[in-house]
Amino acid sequence: MQIFVNGLISGAAIALLAVAFQTVYLPTRVFFLGMAGIYSLAPFIALALFSFLHSWTFASIGAVTVCTLLSLALEWGNHARLSQRRASDGVQLVASLGIYIVLVQIIVMIWGNDVKTLPTGPDAVTQLGRFFITKAQWIITIVAIVLLGTFSAFLMRSNLGLRLRALADNPIQFALFGFNVTSHRLLAFALSGFFAAASSLVTANDIGFDPYTGLHAVLLAVVAVMIGGQSSFLGPVLGALLLGVIRAQVVWFSSARWQEAATFLLLAIFLMLRPQGLLQGKIRLEATQ
Amino acid sequence: MDYLLHLIVYLGIYLIVALSLNLVVGYCGLLTLAHAGYYAIGAYAYAVISLTLGWDFIPAACAGAFLAAVLSLAVSLPSWRLRGDFFVLVSLAVQTLIASILYNWSSTAAPLGTWANLTNGPLGVTGIPGPTFFGVSVASPLSMAIFTVAISGVCALILWRLKISPWGRLLLVMRDDELAARGIGKNTRLAKVQAFAVSSAIVAIAGSLYAAHIHYLDPSSASLDDSILMLSMVIVGGMGNFRGPVVGACVLVLLPEILRFLELPNSQAASLRLLIYGVLLVLFMHIRPQGIAGNYRMK
Repeated sequence: MQIFVNGLISGAAIALLAVAFQTVYLPTRVFFLGMAGIYSLAPFIALALFSFLHSWTFASIGAVTVCTLLSLALEWGNHARLSQRRASDGVQLVASLGIYIVLVQIIVMIWGNDVKTLPTGPDAVTQLGRFFITKAQWIITIVAIVLLGTFSAFLMRSNLGLRLRALADNPIQFALFGFNVTSHRLLAFALSGFFAAASSLVTANDIGFDPYTGLHAVLLAVVAVMIGGQSSFLGPVLGALLLGVIRAQVVWFSSARWQEAATFLLLAIFLMLRPQGLLQGKIRLEATQ
Repeated sequence: MDYLLHLIVYLGIYLIVALSLNLVVGYCGLLTLAHAGYYAIGAYAYAVISLTLGWDFIPAACAGAFLAAVLSLAVSLPSWRLRGDFFVLVSLAVQTLIASILYNWSSTAAPLGTWANLTNGPLGVTGIPGPTFFGVSVASPLSMAIFTVAISGVCALILWRLKISPWGRLLLVMRDDELAARGIGKNTRLAKVQAFAVSSAIVAIAGSLYAAHIHYLDPSSASLDDSILMLSMVIVGGMGNFRGPVVGACVLVLLPEILRFLELPNSQAASLRLLIYGVLLVLFMHIRPQGIAGNYRMK
């Protein structure tokens, strides 16, 4: 049962990133691999800011702000311009891949290749009934619940959230109604950068980080999106929790080294047998492209 | 002189890689990131077979090519239903699976090449013999360069003949309008399977050449960075024709060599090289999506 709880908590961190991915993918159809670079960058920025500010709270806020601005800059300087030229999905993907490579290599050149940790002090363990939960796991859980809950309320209750869903549903009709597609796309990218940085920081606080963690984490998030459902903002949360639990079980019953194989085997099974994901009615996958 | 010959060997290897990837990306319009996985399968097959069974280069490389062709079903079958981003994701999943298997199919208790220890895991395979051709050893740098040029010439010739054949034209029709191709009675699913099989088999031969040249192999040869480099060659050079990947391979193999003259530390030079690839990918997508010498824009 402890393994199940650990899986749920690591799934919560994946869920934050899955929502970050989906927030851009649904309204813009951009496969935002550049987000992996942002994910890699966030803890390095926090570490650098900590040496000036000497406060993890302010360093984290600073890192999230920088990553949100960077995500906006990537939309403004790259994806929006490609969209204006009616670039294909493939072109957007390759450009995003290029951005990821550039960001990661800049990180490597400045901070090096080593695995690092955020030195936030000893990780206290609390007992909750039969379960043991570390301080880092509490942070993941609380941040995930607060952010995902707030985002869910924003999507369902606010006008802006409604417009974001409308843009995801039909961008052409959204533009025909006179709404500003450009500013809503910027909002989507800002939210994505925010969620990616938050996910990265809580994960880095738990297990450490290195410049290459981003792409792997984003791939897990995309797998969660595929499992949860591609046309829902919050379906990936379910996918991420399921993925977290399964990955934890693989470690328990087999070995950590087979985690990736199990993850992508699960993806292959879903793509073959239920390509629409868990939270979506049956459609042909081609119809979504 | 040895440096120049080494460069020729690398150029020959990456020429095969770029041309074979172009068959799938340029002619079929399917962006794949699993190519380095099949390259590594060929390399490992050659390494294990030549070390444990003592086979010559040609039969060992052919065995690797056959294995890669069979395993290419892992990418080609999903391509029946998936295009675009989701197909890229599946190819990435296959790449990760292959890398994971190469890392993990090992045991310190068993000798290399047995069922328990097929790849030697992260320790890699050492002492891989250089190529022997009908019993004659290709040992010197000059003979290796000539051998690589000959093999890459044969691979290029095969791909050229395929390109100008009716089958090659079917791939182009399928890329531009798959529904139309199916409408005139063409079996596009079979064509995709064949294209991936041929592409994977040929890149496996390039992998065999690499293993025979370097004499050492570890699972990093199946890394995503390598797949990105391969894709960059096709994208920067240009897709959908024969000259594009040739130009791409030449540019991306020779460009990093310029960095040697900057006398940077090795780690910085490696990062700078990858940084240049990334910048090139972004720039080409903005300025010239069809690449330097290509005639097909990615969908």
